[in-house]
Amino acid sequence: MMGSLRRISAVASNTFLEAVRQKVFAVLLVFGLVLIYGANYFTEFSFQEQFKFLKDLGYAAISLTGLLVGLLGASQLIPGEIERRTILTALCRPLHRWEFIVGKYLGLAVLLGVMVGVMALAVGGVLGWKEAQLVAREGSDPAVAAAIQKEARDPRLLQAVLLVGVKLAVVAAVAVFFSTVATSTTFVIAMTLMVYLIGHLQSVAREQWLESGEVVQAGAKLFLAAVAFLVPDFNLYNLIDEIIAGNEVVWRSTLEVVGYSVVYITVLLTAASVVFEGRDI
Amino acid sequence: MSAAVQTERLRKEFPMGWFRGRVLALEGLDMEVQRGEVFGLLGPNGSGKSTAMKMILGLLRPTSGRAEVCGFRAGTIAARRQIGFLPENPYFPNFLTGMELVRYYGRLSGMGGSVLEKRIQELMELVRLGGEAGKRPLRTYSKGMLQRAGLAGAMVGDPEILLLDEPTAGVDPAGSREIRDLILELRGRGKTVIFSSHLLEQVEDVADRVIILHRGQKLREGRLEDLLTRKKEWEVSVQGLKEADRKELRGWLEKHGAEVVREGAPRERLEDYFLRSLPEEKRR
Repeated sequence: MMGSLRRISAVASNTFLEAVRQKVFAVLLVFGLVLIYGANYFTEFSFQEQFKFLKDLGYAAISLTGLLVGLLGASQLIPGEIERRTILTALCRPLHRWEFIVGKYLGLAVLLGVMVGVMALAVGGVLGWKEAQLVAREGSDPAVAAAIQKEARDPRLLQAVLLVGVKLAVVAAVAVFFSTVATSTTFVIAMTLMVYLIGHLQSVAREQWLESGEVVQAGAKLFLAAVAFLVPDFNLYNLIDEIIAGNEVVWRSTLEVVGYSVVYITVLLTAASVVFEGRDI
Repeated sequence: MSAAVQTERLRKEFPMGWFRGRVLALEGLDMEVQRGEVFGLLGPNGSGKSTAMKMILGLLRPTSGRAEVCGFRAGTIAARRQIGFLPENPYFPNFLTGMELVRYYGRLSGMGGSVLEKRIQELMELVRLGGEAGKRPLRTYSKGMLQRAGLAGAMVGDPEILLLDEPTAGVDPAGSREIRDLILELRGRGKTVIFSSHLLEQVEDVADRVIILHRGQKLREGRLEDLLTRKKEWEVSVQGLKEADRKELRGWLEKHGAEVVREGAPRERLEDYFLRSLPEEKRR
């Protein structure tokens, strides 16, 4: 057990180190600077609208940057190692292939976690900066100052950060699964994006179909069930939009989505390990 | 005690893609390598050397037949614990330094803590990458340095067997000599070394036994002494023989029914001459 943990952590830390040395974090710096610069605009709106805009912009940027890093990073994890043949010198060691898959995934997950964390801190910093600006300008009335502070220091944003993180972790797990099947990075990215889109559309499509009043055939039902089982329902993460919009989302719902994500990640990594076990390198 | 490596009718076919059939890479290889031997796998490109090595490592699954490493089925964790592998080209993560590479491979082998750190120091000294050289990123290394770093990585788990795929390919003569010396040192420590090469002079210098492969089939196998010795001939190298004595010696040989097959001043090998021409510090 200790040996397993040591081997997994070796693969994970190496994956993380590779990303760091390939200057992935430079992207974060650019992101932070763009966000802070962008916050100077749109000052003519009310403070509620300004905070809403900043939160929208911030979380969209976190999601998009994270999605790009997760997708590109995960699609490179296995095919990249095979292409550079560095996989030969790793898999000839006394480690199980599943340990290699889990280590690779964890390395990427830690990278995504750090990225989301750093970017969320940047968003928090911009919100704090905006708060200071607005309080100085409009906060002579204590009630207004309190309202500004409430908007800027919304603790529900932590739930949004957590949900963005687990959503990216699921996307990365989908990409890792496809990367154990494919040899081409393009194929992995295309398949993962397809699952991402289906995952967003499936519940809407299912509801529309079932509510249309048409008689659903047994085959179609089976198809819908299979899609629902195989493809993660990415609409569940729309809780993030609710939080940004200022609506109440209870922690229980957030943790249920986290649990759902952990189950999907486990299933995807198990499937990836089974596929990879029989593959010639 | 079981052999270091044993294969029985080991066969590998690769699918070419849908409706394009299969290509045969290795056909029924029988091979037995004893512990402590230096064993050469010889053959031109595409002869099946690397395929055989990958099956011994468990990176490729045999189509049929079997391979065992120290009595364990090839590919199992127990078998891989017995083997250190150096690939043909330096396929190492080049964002790491030399020491980090060996540490990474040590951790992948389940090692850690002060035991691993001590082992890294020992190995970096052994392959002459101690001090500052070991702290440089691999992308700044020469091919010879990369191969030596890879060799340290292969040895980190103190394996019984070292599998070296073309260890001197693309390495200059001085670097090549260093790797040859390391192989001899490993043999001195009782390790089994299996290596592939098409640089036959180097194989001749270090191998006890060889196998010659061609298009996936075994052509020859045996001890170098048995394969290369011309048993009907006898060779003596002498100094200070005058022309008159040579003539007399030829006459004596003919009188005793011997045929002079070749005669003349022996030539030095180009590699030896080249290395002797270099300044002392460059030879090392």
